[in-house]
Amino acid sequence: MMLAAIAAATPTPAGVPGAGIFTSPLILSLTIWVPVVVAIVINTFPNPRGRYDTLMKQIAFFTNLGIFFVLFIAYHLFETFLPTLQYEEKLPWLPAFGVTYHLGVDGPGMTMMMLSCLIGMISVLASWGVRERVRSYFTLMLLAQATVNGAIAAHDMFVLLLFWGAATIPVALLILGWGGPRREAAAWRLVGYWGLGTAALLVATMTVYAASGGTSFDMDVLFKSALTPRVQLGAGLALIVAAATRLPLFPFHGWVRDVYSEAPLGVSVVIAGTASRLGGYLLLRGLVAADADASRLLSPLLAALAAVTIVYAAVVALRSVDLRWAAAHLAMVPGAITVFGLAALTPLAIAGSVLSMFTGGLAAALIVAAAWVLTDRAQSRSLSVLSGLAPRMPILTWLLVLGALGLLGVPLLASFPAETMILFGSFKTQPIGAFAVAAGLVLTAIALAVLVHRVLFGQPNPDAPAVSDASLGETWYLGLLVGGLLWVGLFPSGPKLPGTDLPIFDPGLINVMSAGITDIASPYVQPAPTAAQ
Amino acid sequence: MRNFVLVPEALVVAGALVLLAAGRTRGRSRWWFPGAAAGVAVIALVVELWVGATLATFFGGALVQDRFALFAKAAVLLAAALAIAVTDWTDENAPAVGMAMILLAAFGVMVIASAGDFVGLWAGLEVAAAAGVVLVSLRRSDLGLRLLVAGGVASALLLIGLAFIYATTGTADLQAVRHAAATTDATLPFGIPVLLLLGGLAVRAGLPPLQFVRMPVGLGASPLGAGIVIGLVAAAALTVAVKVAALLTLVPAAFSPYLLVAAAVAMVGGGAAALATRSPRARLAYLAAGQVGWVAAGLATHYRSGLGASVFLLGAFAIAATAGPAVMGGADIGEFALAGMGLLRPARAAAIALVFLSLAGAPPLAGFFGEFAVAASLAQGGQMWLLALGGLGALMSLAAAVGTLRAIYLQNPPDDSRRAAGARLPVLTRLSTYGAIALCVVIAGYGVFANPIVSLADQASEALLR
Repeated sequence: MMLAAIAAATPTPAGVPGAGIFTSPLILSLTIWVPVVVAIVINTFPNPRGRYDTLMKQIAFFTNLGIFFVLFIAYHLFETFLPTLQYEEKLPWLPAFGVTYHLGVDGPGMTMMMLSCLIGMISVLASWGVRERVRSYFTLMLLAQATVNGAIAAHDMFVLLLFWGAATIPVALLILGWGGPRREAAAWRLVGYWGLGTAALLVATMTVYAASGGTSFDMDVLFKSALTPRVQLGAGLALIVAAATRLPLFPFHGWVRDVYSEAPLGVSVVIAGTASRLGGYLLLRGLVAADADASRLLSPLLAALAAVTIVYAAVVALRSVDLRWAAAHLAMVPGAITVFGLAALTPLAIAGSVLSMFTGGLAAALIVAAAWVLTDRAQSRSLSVLSGLAPRMPILTWLLVLGALGLLGVPLLASFPAETMILFGSFKTQPIGAFAVAAGLVLTAIALAVLVHRVLFGQPNPDAPAVSDASLGETWYLGLLVGGLLWVGLFPSGPKLPGTDLPIFDPGLINVMSAGITDIASPYVQPAPTAAQ
Repeated sequence: MRNFVLVPEALVVAGALVLLAAGRTRGRSRWWFPGAAAGVAVIALVVELWVGATLATFFGGALVQDRFALFAKAAVLLAAALAIAVTDWTDENAPAVGMAMILLAAFGVMVIASAGDFVGLWAGLEVAAAAGVVLVSLRRSDLGLRLLVAGGVASALLLIGLAFIYATTGTADLQAVRHAAATTDATLPFGIPVLLLLGGLAVRAGLPPLQFVRMPVGLGASPLGAGIVIGLVAAAALTVAVKVAALLTLVPAAFSPYLLVAAAVAMVGGGAAALATRSPRARLAYLAAGQVGWVAAGLATHYRSGLGASVFLLGAFAIAATAGPAVMGGADIGEFALAGMGLLRPARAAAIALVFLSLAGAPPLAGFFGEFAVAASLAQGGQMWLLALGGLGALMSLAAAVGTLRAIYLQNPPDDSRRAAGARLPVLTRLSTYGAIALCVVIAGYGVFANPIVSLADQASEALLR
């Protein structure tokens, strides 16, 4: 009770958005540039015959841990009642072209930053087993994380494009250098699809920039310009292509199978967890929040793409002969659900979409990572070989089952409220799409059930190679992914002091996420029925 | 201050002559030559930045010191200094001649940058090209001859074009030509000479598909020779193109359609060819050709913003394309020559990586900022089709650059037998290491701290259109 009294007596930080001890306007820049600086330091650090490999892993881990810690405090101090950007940084960069170094996060942005930092930490843990060229590996990993953080925090289209495009290079090099036997195909496909997405984003940005008078790339200016329907349609389509290559959505999913199955585990976690979520975030920022007319015009297309993607992913997963391929396709499902929520264009569905970016990132990373570890431990990827592993892999069994449940959105896991909000919010505006998505989710459930049954609970294969369960380290990072899903599922509004409404240390992801969504969703609020009606 | 404006030119020419003379002496230790040559270029750069803001004309208007001259001269001096610093001089046939030739090539570009009439444009281009021919001939006389013949053809086209424009406008003074062109219709007798002029420049710059001479020459020359041909000579041709485009902005129909097509072919062709080839130096040459296409695209917009963007990108191009072959050393034999470079020569490897990425237009380096600026002007000009083609070219260029990065950082170094077969590692010297680090800083800084450079490029375009 004393704690409650102290908490109640503590005034809420007011005045500057994101106030408190973190009034420093550099907090978002820190999340971007600290990994870059550490990457340069690691890369120039002498490492004769790999003597300091472990030290480099530790540096990478503690860098991520430190950033996560700082960001968590910023998350804690986030003003949940303010719809505006917080922790904003704005510096003129190229005034001649209207480019500003403009960073800032609202509720959805802070949610994505938390996801990115959590995934960054987990990806370093998942990369602990890397033995070759450790220095280069962690340099590239830190650069990849920095680009993702930059793309999330960017509030200027130039800055967004810069980080969006830059992410391709370290990720492709990581796959080329440390990937599996088909790494060449995986890396070039990734470069091709993501490069296409970057080109599409460039075209969309330039179209809007030119149509708005060519004065600024700042999102505040760019997205508030009056555009002709033709420009809205062209830029919107280009944005959808850019997002679809990253999420990915059918038919821009060509990189998924090879990349998730051939990339090193830590890289797969980063891609599935955050890099691919950027597609949904781009649609939220660049389409739904920016241009209500274009969003309404293109929402049937988005809904159709989402529904087709879910059905396609489930069918391909059902027919897969390789566990990693099946997991790779199933990891497409959360992204498609996010997009469907955005296509529904209702406040509830949009809120669900933002939450599903977070939960989908964790669930996709979990299913991909669990399948990766399981196939590694079982020494085979073939579904004709993997069978009845549950008795010999109890930990991995739990983790894979939880990953499957996370994808499906069962109660107690964070994906449940996200999917529920999306489906409830979309039945009115996209009834056919909602039915198709629901049918797709049923197919996904069947695919997951068949997969889990065959691999874990089927008849044990006497000819299969020897298997072993997850190590303590693997359990830790997979457990963190599960823990994230469970924490937000159990405490969406944060844990409270018993008998009060006061949060203990987590203000609640739902509360933080909601800041800004009201503004984004305001053009899509249905008018209340009048008394005469 | 006016008396000091031509000091950089004087320093560069004097340095080149001293080097040529010192190269003839026997028995003297020459280890200090590269440092001294780079020092001359750096001192000239500092003097240029110090006094270059002074507006002045010399020799009755034949040389003009304006903001464009300041920008172009500073960029080319920086490129020359970096190229001299990073070159592995044990791989050059005649180091003293090589250093003198790169200084002379830089002098040629400086003359073009401050040229006030057609004579200055032509003479500067010929000086830069002649330096390239000399350096290429030192290693491969056959390639030198080929370059000379192709250069002769380009020069002839250029001269005919300039002569016809002179005949049409009645003057060779650039300011006067600009004013005369404003009252001239884009008729066939005016359009054909412009086409010939641009054709000559395209051959000089090695714009695809006119790279038939520049490419084999670039591959067969010494590293520094390749740097001059791929970088400085192309930069010289582009500087002429910038000035010509500025002359004709009021009659865009006379040059814009040619440049649009040339830019589209160069951007896509350069990227595709870079993706198709495996030789690092050929890849670099094609990436450079693709970036030349971006510069041309900016000029084709015939807007001040496009001109400014092209000038900005020209600086980034000159630095990366000149210093790139030099920092790679003898990597013309195949990709394996660069394998493991990241492990064995980290500073040089980082410089090579940044050069490739910058020429490919990868963020957040100098080339990306320049190409983005051009893209913005294309969008403002409504040339979305060219922007889309540029995006395609950049995508292919990026994939090609990633391939080279893989060789540098992810492949194991070749064994001794392959090293003996020609994949020789560049000799490690203090100057080359510092030069490589400086090259990295310049390429990254040119983009990240682009604002003052963009501002200068904007003033340069304003000066050209005055």
